Amino acid sequence: MIQYGWYAVFIRQMLLFRRKILKMGYVFSAMMMPVVYLIAFGFGLGGSVKIHGTDYLSFLVPGLAAMSSMNNSYNWVASSLNLNRLYFKNFQTFVQAPISPSSILAGEVLAGMVKGLFASMFIIIVGVCFAANFHISFPFIVALLLNTFLFASLGVITGMITKTHEDTSTYSNFLIMPMAFFSGTFFPVDQIPVLLKWFIYLLPLTHTNILIRKASFDQGALVSLLILIIYAFIFFICGSRLIKNYSE
Amino acid sequence: MGRHKSRSSGEKNMLVAERIIKSYGSVKAVKGVSFNIKRGEVFGLLGPNGAGKTTTIKMFTALTKPDSGRCIINGHDVASAPEMIKPLIGVVPQVNNLDKDLTAYENLHIYSLLHKVSGFKNKIPEALKKVELYDRRNHLVSGFSGGMQRRLLLARALLPEPEVLFLDEPSIGLDPQIRRGMWDTIRKTRYQGRTVIITTHYIEEAEALCDRVGVMRKGELIALGTPAELKASVGEYVVEYTGAEGRLMQEIKCTKDEAYSEAKKHNGIGVSIRRSNLEDVFIKLTGERIE
Repeated sequence: MIQYGWYAVFIRQMLLFRRKILKMGYVFSAMMMPVVYLIAFGFGLGGSVKIHGTDYLSFLVPGLAAMSSMNNSYNWVASSLNLNRLYFKNFQTFVQAPISPSSILAGEVLAGMVKGLFASMFIIIVGVCFAANFHISFPFIVALLLNTFLFASLGVITGMITKTHEDTSTYSNFLIMPMAFFSGTFFPVDQIPVLLKWFIYLLPLTHTNILIRKASFDQGALVSLLILIIYAFIFFICGSRLIKNYSE
Repeated sequence: MGRHKSRSSGEKNMLVAERIIKSYGSVKAVKGVSFNIKRGEVFGLLGPNGAGKTTTIKMFTALTKPDSGRCIINGHDVASAPEMIKPLIGVVPQVNNLDKDLTAYENLHIYSLLHKVSGFKNKIPEALKKVELYDRRNHLVSGFSGGMQRRLLLARALLPEPEVLFLDEPSIGLDPQIRRGMWDTIRKTRYQGRTVIITTHYIEEAEALCDRVGVMRKGELIALGTPAELKASVGEYVVEYTGAEGRLMQEIKCTKDEAYSEAKKHNGIGVSIRRSNLEDVFIKLTGERIE
């Protein structure tokens, strides 16, 4: 049962986040990678490439928004939980407080969503200003929210199971980075060899990329929506179990 | 130290350890420890580093599950009903686990929300004044000294007015003068009828604060009683003298007369007689020093 306690966990993360934003270094590190991709691929390569008859920048912007929201919601949650658990030990104050494991999870996940959405904001602004065929549709908003939710939940899972801080980057390099490149961020998934395709369609980011580019909820969008909801549900339940069974 | 009035009536045990065992891999941290703590009692766990004190506290505060045995607080088993005991406990951990990138006020604010402290807007300034940190309320904790952080941890743990307060090495790393200030603050809390459990490897701390002391070594409880009982069990007087090769030797005696006659045997040079302390109890039981 999620109770009032999520608010305390969330507010703590937001107070810390506010300080990080003011330091500016955080803003640059959160936005640097998608901006590099945007300039290199979108503005560099994009002039000479068309995908499905539309300009490349309009194709790339939703993909980069999905990628950077994934990266930031996942990495910041996984990394901060890992540090709070193993190094700073302030995760103990949550475990010892009279709040439910789901409340701890909900607070961390909501904070991760805010960080993920914040990081993708700059890309969206660029899209609105420069990409001729980019529109913020209803599926776009749903995809972004679900994407940040499920990857923040996955971040909680990683943050809870890692035994050292270095493990966090290992998971990120093997899980998150390949997903960023092969799940339809930079090119349509239908161009990938058939043998790899079934694997690509198992990845949640693939379905975020499908949903985020839809103008409306057609059949394909609904299938991807359903898959994302299933992933979000599974990750949330697993995260909650891990917090419930926490023992130092 | 005078006896205080318990918040709850009766002599019912507030905490019970029932043969608790905990291992980490091949290391047996706690090996079947049992004890009872009464409501309103100030109970100390004394022993060197690695004795299993912190692991015991972690099992009572829902951070670690015992391999076997039960930790019971107010009649509830911590491992199977943590939701029943969490509203009752406050913890000052051994590691300063404050949010260093938040201010003192923000740290207490978050803790108040976690513990649903009503009227925290008035209670936080009061709590900060009690530990003399009110003037620093809007400063980041990262700039605080070790002593200030320990005081803030104590203020934080007391905010929800817990019935059971766990203090894991409360004055670790503090210089003697600040340590005494910390003891005064701890003494004030016991007069409010709380049950207090203190782990320490400082002899003076255990003697100054605790009604009863459990002595731990290598995961086992090797002695249990009031400081006076423990000292009486080994002898109240210690004769110290310089032995062969200049080594400091000591003999513990039960009566003053026995101590004087022992002192005379060593020709009176470099000989002294003093009252025994808990360190002597530990040495007598284990042949080792605590620190």
